Parts: sequence; C-alpha cells; structure tokens
Amino acid sequence: MLKFAGIILVLFAGTMIGFLQAARFAARPRQIRGLLHALQRLETEISYGQTHLPEALMRISGMVPYPLSDLFANISKSLMKDSAESGETVRECWERAINAHWPETAMKKGEKEAMLRLGSTLGRSGREDQLKHIRLTTLQLQVEESAARDDQNRYEKLSRSLGMLGAALVVILII
Amino acid sequence: MPQPLMELFPTTLRLVLERIPAFARESLEEIRIRENRALEISYGSTYSFVREDGTLTEHYKEAFVASQEQCRALLERVTNHSIYAVEEELRRGYVTVPGGHRIGLAGRTILDKGIVSHLRDIAGFNVRIARARIGFGSEVLPGLLDFKARTIRHTLIVSPPQQGKTTLIRDLARCLSSGEWHHPAARDWGSRKVGIVDERSEIAASERGVPTFDLGPRSDVLDACPKAEGIMMMLRSLSPEVIVADEIGRPEDAEAIYEAIHAGVRVLATAHATNLSDVLARPVLAKLAEDGVFDCYVFLSRAGKKVEHRIVTAEEAMHEKSRRYSRTIGATPRDAPSPIHPKLPITSAVAPTPTQVTVKARQMPVIRSPNGDGLRGFEDA
Repeated sequence: MLKFAGIILVLFAGTMIGFLQAARFAARPRQIRGLLHALQRLETEISYGQTHLPEALMRISGMVPYPLSDLFANISKSLMKDSAESGETVRECWERAINAHWPETAMKKGEKEAMLRLGSTLGRSGREDQLKHIRLTTLQLQVEESAARDDQNRYEKLSRSLGMLGAALVVILII
Repeated sequence: MPQPLMELFPTTLRLVLERIPAFARESLEEIRIRENRALEISYGSTYSFVREDGTLTEHYKEAFVASQEQCRALLERVTNHSIYAVEEELRRGYVTVPGGHRIGLAGRTILDKGIVSHLRDIAGFNVRIARARIGFGSEVLPGLLDFKARTIRHTLIVSPPQQGKTTLIRDLARCLSSGEWHHPAARDWGSRKVGIVDERSEIAASERGVPTFDLGPRSDVLDACPKAEGIMMMLRSLSPEVIVADEIGRPEDAEAIYEAIHAGVRVLATAHATNLSDVLARPVLAKLAEDGVFDCYVFLSRAGKKVEHRIVTAEEAMHEKSRRYSRTIGATPRDAPSPIHPKLPITSAVAPTPTQVTVKARQMPVIRSPNGDGLRGFEDA
C-alpha cells in the first residue's frame, strides 16, 4: 500500500515538473510580446505625449500582464520617491528592478541584456535618440521572440512527456 | 531653503547642502554646481565655497567637489528623468522645477544650421532659488498709479540679473489682482483682471496649470507660453486689464506690446539692463522707449540685503536720454580719434533691428497759438 502511494507521488511530481517546464516554454514568447507592447507604448508616450518617464512607466504598468506590470511599477515608484538605496538615476533603478524581478518571469538572458542596455540610455538624451534606442531594443527582442517560439514548438510537448516518462523510469528503477 | 528643492539633489550633495549654516540658508540665492570644481553658494549678495562638512570657506581649494556621477544624477533629477521632455528648455539653457526655481545649465551646445538645437555634456548648474516676498510691491505700487484711469501706468521694471525683478513683478501682479493699491486715493478702485504670460514659469511657478505662488484671485496664467504669442492669446480671449510679462527684449515681444497698449490694456514688464542708457542701447527697448510706450520705469538696485527702487517717469527718461545723445559717438566726426576700439562698429549697438516694427505714432495734441492761427494753418496744410 505504502509502495503504491509512493509510486503515485513520484509519477505526479515528475508530471508536474514536466508541465511547469512546458509552461515556461509557452510563457517566454508571450512575455516577450508583452515587453514589445510595452516598448511600443513607451515610444508613443515619448514621441507624442512627451510624458515624463516615471509617469509613462506607471501607465505602461497598468496595461501589461502580471510579472511585467510589477516590474514597471517598481521602476516607476523608485524614480518617483527619492531614496538613496533604490538608486538615483534611471539606470540604477532600472537595473535593480530588473535583477529583482527577472526570476519571476520566464524570460532568459538575451532579453534581459537587451532591456538592461535600454535602461542605461533611457531618459538621458533627446527625443530622436530615445526613439532610436527603443527601436533597437525592439529589434533585439523580436529576434529573441522568434527564437523563443522555435523553442516552444520544439520543447513544449517534449518536456511535458519527458517529465512523465522520467517519473515512470524512476518508478521502474525503484521497483 | 524649501524642502522640495532639496529633494532634487542627489543624496551626497544634499547631505552637504543641508549642513550649511542657518544664516546662509535663510538668505540663499544661488547654488552653483560645477563638475569637478568647487561647490559655490551665493547668499545675501555675497558668495562662499562649501566644504564637505557644510561649513563655508573663502578658498576654493578646500571646498567640496561635485563628481561627474553626481552631476549626471542631478541633471536626471531636475529633468524628472526625462531629458526628451525638456528639449525646448535645454535649447534656451535652463529648466524650471516645481516651486519656480530656475536652474541654469552650462554645457556643450549642438548646432543645427547655425541655431542651437540642443545642449549636451551638461557640467554646470546654477540653481536660483525663487522666493515670494509679499510686501515688496506695496512699496513700489503707489508710485505707479494712474489716477485718471484708476489703474496702473504702463511700467517697465529694469535691473541687472539677481536684483529681484521677478519677485517684484510677482508681488505687483498679486496686489493688482487682489485690489491692494496701497494708496489712500485708490481705496475704492477695486481689483483688476491680470493676465500673466509666464514664458519661463518663474512668475507663477505653475504646476499642471495652477500657479503655486499667490497671485491674487483675479489672475490668469499662460504657462511656458512665448511672450509675443501669449500676449496675443490673452488679448483675444482672456480680456485682461493688465498684462504682465517677464524679460522682454525680442522684436516680436515689442510688436505684441504695441498691440496690447492700443487695445486698452496696461502692460507691466521687466527687462535686463543696469540703467537707462542700457535700456536705450538695446534695440527693441530703445524703440519702445522712443515711442513713449512706457509711462514709467522702475530701476532696482541692491545694497546688501536691501533692494532699493527708483521710479522714473517717461518725461524724465526722455530728458536723460537727450543729455545722453549729446555725447554719443555718432555725433562726433567719423575721422575723429576714438578712445576705445576704433575698429569695432560701435554704432551697431543702437542700429534698428532687421525686423522693422511698424507702429502708428502717438497722436500729438495740436498746439494752438493764442489767436488761433496755428489751428487754422494746420487745417490749410
């Protein structure tokens, strides 16, 4: 009886790991898309609205889905209040927030680097220059997005079945 | 020193500035931050350098030195992390922050077709602290009243920078719009509608359109609006009785002022100059003065902490001017030896501006001779 319960538990755990992995593969392109939307919005805010950066980021945080909304809200808040520990320039606030929030997202190193690079220029130059930097980041993210979609097609189903099969293997070996 | 202003400074700089002695903090006028150079403050018409522990010193070598990182952070904070949103201000060389404080910037200019298009590598900041001095206007206003029209005369306030022009014009605007004339004969005049064209956001220090300084109940502010256009907009739709504008000097400003005075509106303006001969040496101001646009001039000068003012009416000004013209260089023969820079075209300083301002000359009263001949002769002609 105890053995049976153990087998069930191992199988369940293995399947869940596989599903989680698959969900990460599925979430990555979706979140990159979210970032692209956010950047597009930022571009509009900068070029037409000339909205100040803290306010623009706050608006963006209201329109993107969960892990990204927290990220942008965090940056915006640390820009609005004045505190030495959260950083005083956009670059410091941006880096700190991205480093803190990245593990919550399904995104990988390539996107992170593109975003960090954007953070080091944001708010520091004239409008034309800002738009150029945002467009450059958009291009990089688009490349990452297509790679992420490839990965999703290739590995999403694979990791799902791999989780269950791996669990089955462990069960067989134990028995 | 107001607290919101301190929040603009990066922490390290703020720690230094918060520790400067109270007597200097009370009368602080400017904070000058220059990258990799000594931190300077000016207060009560004197200046000092600031050591790292906040004490003042005469020797710049002992002073606190602002690093590049601190200057970058300061620039980001004064522009609210959005340089792209203040490009127009950067082109003019200053940013105005909440509270009406103006921050002058020095850096490297970028030219586009010979016109300054941007300022970058900003390494010098001059934080000018704006203060409302309620009561300043009450000393000056009684001298500016027009008892016949029961309002203020067309006035130009003249002084070099940093003598309190903006402070005075702000308090005058408040007095007019709240009907405080400070004169016994003017007790029942009521108040006037005041339109303020606040190109540099210094007079009203508007935040989202609402003035943060007290400008009285009947004032309207066009924030960050070019003076010439702003005056026309005011005339068209806001029906002001008095128009207030800061630092006139461009030909289009003069044109708008002509429109205003002929539309039955009183004009209260300021200009940078030291004295009357400076006013007459600036092309646009000279034109305005010659046409007798301003009925009186207020000259501000400063002795220690006290600001002195002197009111000069237009007739006195013209009198002084004629004395001055008798010794102008233009009156001497061309080949006469000139004591200063003979090669410089000195007369260009008073040459008319390329944009000619066309104005109707003011109608002069007909001079009647005792037997009425003069009038008849005029009609025959």
